[in-house]
Order: sequence, then C-alpha cells, then structure tokens
Amino acid sequence: MLKRIEDWNYYELLSVERTASQDEIWAAFQASLATYRDGSLALYGLVTEDERALVLERVQEAFQTLRDPEKRKDYDLALLRHTPYVPQKAPFRRSVGKVEIEDVAPTKGLWARVKRLFSRNP
Amino acid sequence: MDKRIWAIGGGKGGTGKSFVAASLGLHLASLDRPVLLVDADLGAPNLHTLLGIKASHPDLGDFLINAVPSLEHAAVETPYRNLRLVKGSENILFIANINHYRKLRFLRQLRQIEAPNIVLDLGTGSSFNTLDFFLSANPGVVVATPEPTAIENTYLFLKSCIMRVLKLYMDHYKIKDLHQRMLDQIEKNSQSLYGFFKSLMESDRAYGTILYRALRGFRPCLVMNKTRDERDVLLGRSVADVARKYLLIDMKYLGAVPYDEDVQASLRELRPFYVDHRDSAAARAIRQMSEELAYSIEFTLRTPPEIRLPDA
Repeated sequence: MLKRIEDWNYYELLSVERTASQDEIWAAFQASLATYRDGSLALYGLVTEDERALVLERVQEAFQTLRDPEKRKDYDLALLRHTPYVPQKAPFRRSVGKVEIEDVAPTKGLWARVKRLFSRNP
Repeated sequence: MDKRIWAIGGGKGGTGKSFVAASLGLHLASLDRPVLLVDADLGAPNLHTLLGIKASHPDLGDFLINAVPSLEHAAVETPYRNLRLVKGSENILFIANINHYRKLRFLRQLRQIEAPNIVLDLGTGSSFNTLDFFLSANPGVVVATPEPTAIENTYLFLKSCIMRVLKLYMDHYKIKDLHQRMLDQIEKNSQSLYGFFKSLMESDRAYGTILYRALRGFRPCLVMNKTRDERDVLLGRSVADVARKYLLIDMKYLGAVPYDEDVQASLRELRPFYVDHRDSAAARAIRQMSEELAYSIEFTLRTPPEIRLPDA
C-alpha cells in the first residue's frame, strides 16, 4: 500500500477497518487528534508543521463523513467502486525470504578480494 | 521447537532498554522455558548489575576474542531458574568496534544456540553493529520514553534501520548505484521515503518491488517506557501510527510500562525489580507485552490465506 498521506482514504487515515463500528471510529478519531494536534510529541523530528495541519484537516473531514451513516454509505460505495475491499492481513507476520547479513558478500577486505579472484563472473 | 530471538534496542540512552530486557528475560524464564540473556551493549554493558550479578569471566568479550570456544561457553548460570546470562565485557576497551567477521560469528552462534528464547540487550545509537543485531532478531523491540529527545532518536533509529535493510538488499541484488540516490532523497523531508519508492517504481518496477517488500519485512515493535498518564500511553500508539504512515513500516505497539519509583530503589539494592515487585503495574505490563506478542505470532501462523475480492 504505497500511497501519499494525501491519497489515504478515510479508513486508512484513521487506522480503522472498513467494518469499524461508530465507537471504534470515535476512539480512532480521538487518537488521531492526539497524534496530529498542535505541538504533538509523536511528530517531533519527523513531520513539519504544514504537513501536520494538512493531515489534521483531513482527519476531521474523515470523522465528519464516517460519523454520519448516510454520508458513510455514499463514501463506502464510492470507495468500493474505486478500490475493492481486501480485509487486513494479520497484524504481525513473519518475514518471508528475508536476506540475512551473512548472505551479502563483503565488498572490502582481503577475503572479498580472494573470493572475487575465484568467482566465475567477477 | 519455536525459537525466538528478542532484541531490545532504541536510539536514546536511559530509556530503559536493559530494564525491559532483564524483566522480559525473568518473565520468560518463569514460564519454564530456558532463556539466554545476552548483553550485546558492546560499549557500556550493565545488564548483570540489573540482575544483581557481579562482573566476572567468562563474558561476551572472551567469546569475541576467541578465549572461549563458543557463545554457549560464555554463558553463566544466574540465581534464577531457567535463566542464563552472557555478560557484557567491561575489561576489553576496543571490543565495541568489532569487525565484520566477529559480528557474523556472533550472529551465527546466536542462531545455533539451543534456547527457545534469547533476549539481546542492545546498546544506544545507530552504529552498524547495533543495527545488525537488531535486524537479525525477531521480534525487535524499540524502547522509547515520552520525551521529545527519545521520540526524535526513535525515529532516527528506525530510519537508520530502514536504510540498513535497503542497503543490505541493494548489495545482495547488486544495485549499488541506488544507494546514493536513496541517501540524497531521504535526507529531504518526512515523505521522502515515499518519494524515493515512487520514483524507483516508475524507473524500475522490479527493483522497486524487491526493496518495498524488504522494507515491509522489517517489523519492529514499540514499547513506551516510564509512562505517567494516559496521554503518554496514547503517545506510543501515535508514534507507531506515524511510523506506519511516514516510514512505511509495519510497526506494532506492544504497550506501555508505567513509571515506577521502585525501579531506582531496586537498582540501588542490586536486586532485579521484576523479582521483587512481581505484582507491580510495571511488571504486569511486561507480562502483558510478551503475551500480546506471543498471541499475535500464534495468530499469524493460523491465519488462512488471503482472499481477494474480484475487481468491482
């Protein structure tokens, strides 16, 4: 899911499932408000003031839409037409096909030079 | 048997990495499965002091300079059941800068050791050795505290890990020219990582996919230590959420460990906090953390394959 923050849909923005209840959305909204409020510690050293204000605006917009069943229905329909809903995968998955440090041949040093000498395609 | 290597790391000193590592080790040992605690803080080791054990030989330094044949031989018994410890080396000053081959030997032996749980207590900062230890483990746990300095260094640590992972894959797939491009771009701003991937996907989709999958394979966990109120607890959630959105990594928030005056008192008495204050809120939080993670790993193994809906 490689998207700019501006392109995140309301559910992604609030970090809730598309099936979330009103209570869950309320809780997620509160958490997002805490994250993107003015002077928030969570953004320290990573996000600029302009970006923060922009995201906060979108968070409020998201909540205004999702709290209203009618508006939410319309939004969901529009969203479904645009991208099909795929339920979230498990929260914690094992890495498959992970490259370990040992797999990477060193580029410097004597051993690297010796290996390069005997490798088929130097 | 399922084997798990825990690495407890983080960008800033004094956030309680060793405290979390010691408490986690003691908790896992109390579950009747052998635990090996390794003090991999090469520069300033003090895990043994937190457990109330005096520095003595053999230690990790003896293993690194080949004075003992294996890491197993460097481990000593502790007064606590099921818990063994590889002490950090205090005597050998140059050991903090171990070379690549010693590092590989250490990592290889960690994987070979027969213990269901290995807990690595890592040092502060983003040196290559620390990052590599952190990335080799699963799960890697980042410990932060609710202070601007700690948060700033947490992001820096995560960014360093990301760069290291991507560099590793670039070296493996021999796409080295990308590295400078990544360095140039990532310095710019918070959305730079996104920008880097976006432009890479446009110019070379295959490499972009490989590197993006590599990035998504990096799944650290976060613990907020020394929290004093509900706001601090929420801050941990926010940090994990921001890391997911801006650094594009799959970060899991394990929970908060409340601030406890008794931690200092235990330290002065050279007694492990977790043993003396088993019913404290902080000890309960440590237990909950490990259960939370164990559960989500178990849950993962049983998750059925993903079902894709037909395109609308």
